[in-house]
Amino acid sequence: MTVLQANDIHKEFSEGAETISVLNGVSLSLQQGEIVSLEGPSGSGKTTLLSILGCIMTATSGEVRVEDQAIDADDPILLQETRKQSIGFVFQQYNLIPALTAMENVEYALNIKGMRGAEARAEARRVMEEVGLADKMDSAPRDMSGGQKQRVAIARALAGRSPILLVDEPTANLDSQTADQILELFRRLARSENRAVLVVTHDPKVRNVVDRVLIIRDGRLCN
Amino acid sequence: MIDLARKILLYDKLRFIITVCGVGFAVALVLVQTGLFLGLLDNASITIDHLDAEVWVAAKNTPNIDFARTFSDAYVNRVRSVEGVERADNLIVWFIRMALPNGAQEGVEMYGMERFVEWGMPWQVDEGNLQDLRRGRYVMLDDSATKRCGSFEVGDYREFIGRRMKIIGRTHGALSFTTAPVAFADMQSIQALTPELKGQTTYIVVKLKPGADRQRVIEEIRRRLPYTDVNTREDWSHNSKLYWVTSTGLGLQLACTILLGCMVAIIIVAQTLYSSTMEHLKEFGTIKAIGAGNGHIYGILARQATIAAVCGAVVGGGLTFALQPVMAKLDLKLLIVPGFWLATFVGTLVFSLAAAMISFRQVAKLDPAMVFRT
Repeated sequence: MTVLQANDIHKEFSEGAETISVLNGVSLSLQQGEIVSLEGPSGSGKTTLLSILGCIMTATSGEVRVEDQAIDADDPILLQETRKQSIGFVFQQYNLIPALTAMENVEYALNIKGMRGAEARAEARRVMEEVGLADKMDSAPRDMSGGQKQRVAIARALAGRSPILLVDEPTANLDSQTADQILELFRRLARSENRAVLVVTHDPKVRNVVDRVLIIRDGRLCN
Repeated sequence: MIDLARKILLYDKLRFIITVCGVGFAVALVLVQTGLFLGLLDNASITIDHLDAEVWVAAKNTPNIDFARTFSDAYVNRVRSVEGVERADNLIVWFIRMALPNGAQEGVEMYGMERFVEWGMPWQVDEGNLQDLRRGRYVMLDDSATKRCGSFEVGDYREFIGRRMKIIGRTHGALSFTTAPVAFADMQSIQALTPELKGQTTYIVVKLKPGADRQRVIEEIRRRLPYTDVNTREDWSHNSKLYWVTSTGLGLQLACTILLGCMVAIIIVAQTLYSSTMEHLKEFGTIKAIGAGNGHIYGILARQATIAAVCGAVVGGGLTFALQPVMAKLDLKLLIVPGFWLATFVGTLVFSLAAAMISFRQVAKLDPAMVFRT
């Protein structure tokens, strides 16, 4: 089943009098349980595409469909609700809240998604165990290694059972061994939890775990 | 729900402590300044408030109790015959020069009556017997006079406009807004001191019969004594205070102090929240990316402002309480008025929330796409 679809996405930015075209008719789809990588050189439009697919940014033209629902770019509430209910993000810099413990970071994301109290705590505990951090729940992000922080960020994205995970450069700040573990975790999650995972990366190792590789260059997907 | 506002605020403890201290200082500034002002103002009507009279008759356009003007002391008989009046007596309040043992002179605010005891005046006598004032040229001095007139003992003599009078008692708590020492003497003794008081009084104080209609009594006294002002105790007390507030610029000065305190609180809270918001922009961006709206983040900032305001107000209130006995030792009366404290706390909260608005603007224009930038 297709959970994320982009049709003929164009994105332009104005810079003074000049208009810069970043995406030029990108179309793609993502199936449940599938893990796909998006590769390309710097400035090719990877992050812009990720932002549009994640309903954080709107396209100049084209259509995004999430769980078979067309996303109206002019409806900020719909964009916000779609992010909340359907999409989990894993950021390159982890973006954990330093004032919260690892588990609280996950629980807070669930709170935003509308889950509260004991239910949120139980779900947070479940995903923390899922990513192998059962013994680090009360640790502060500052006391954790890069790999552990990345796992917390993954747990946060998993929490709430969003069907789509959008992952930005998951191995960029990790050593080789930890990077392998994290990639394996993504593959396992895609299979066991039937999630669609799109990984934006420069890292060729990612190819070892994905089902498909998409390459973007100058705002266009290449074969 | 995880209390992110509190956790972020307490994450940087030093900054939080500085903020709370800053707000606390601003609150204490307002409370102490206002408390001292109200304490000083309380002196402007302290004798009116303690004297057991419901109605005060004064010469026309007398501005306050200290700046009295004279009228005939025989008018009191007209008042006594008004229906509903239980008793009425003359009261003289007059500034008189007192010679000090060192040859200097000091102005004293002299209160003169025939029957002090019946009027509950003075209300605290530490030494001496009020009844004795009628027995000769005697005077009772309030112990606050020590500051300006030097120490004195019961039994000492002082000269008042060249006439020796014996100090036969010591009172406490009788003060004047003018800070002039307050003394009590028999009315005839005071009238004998200066020719301008001969056959004159400055006030008639009136005690009503139980159940008497005060307004009707006042109307009748006004009819009988058309060239006087007749006030209720409350109005006279209020007018005496208001005179000093409006005529001296003290009211304006107080308003400036309150404004200054509010500004300090606003600036501190605004500065803290703004710098904290700027520091946590990426986290707020992440929260937005996850699906929270601006309202959710406004809620976090508003709660932070509320926590800072409440903690600051508690610190400021505590500081003011702690200062009260210290001020008392310095002979400064710091009044604590619950209503004003409540208003200050509410004001602190409102101003702190207003200060959070600057941070709201930063959050409103925050682009969640920033989370993908390294």
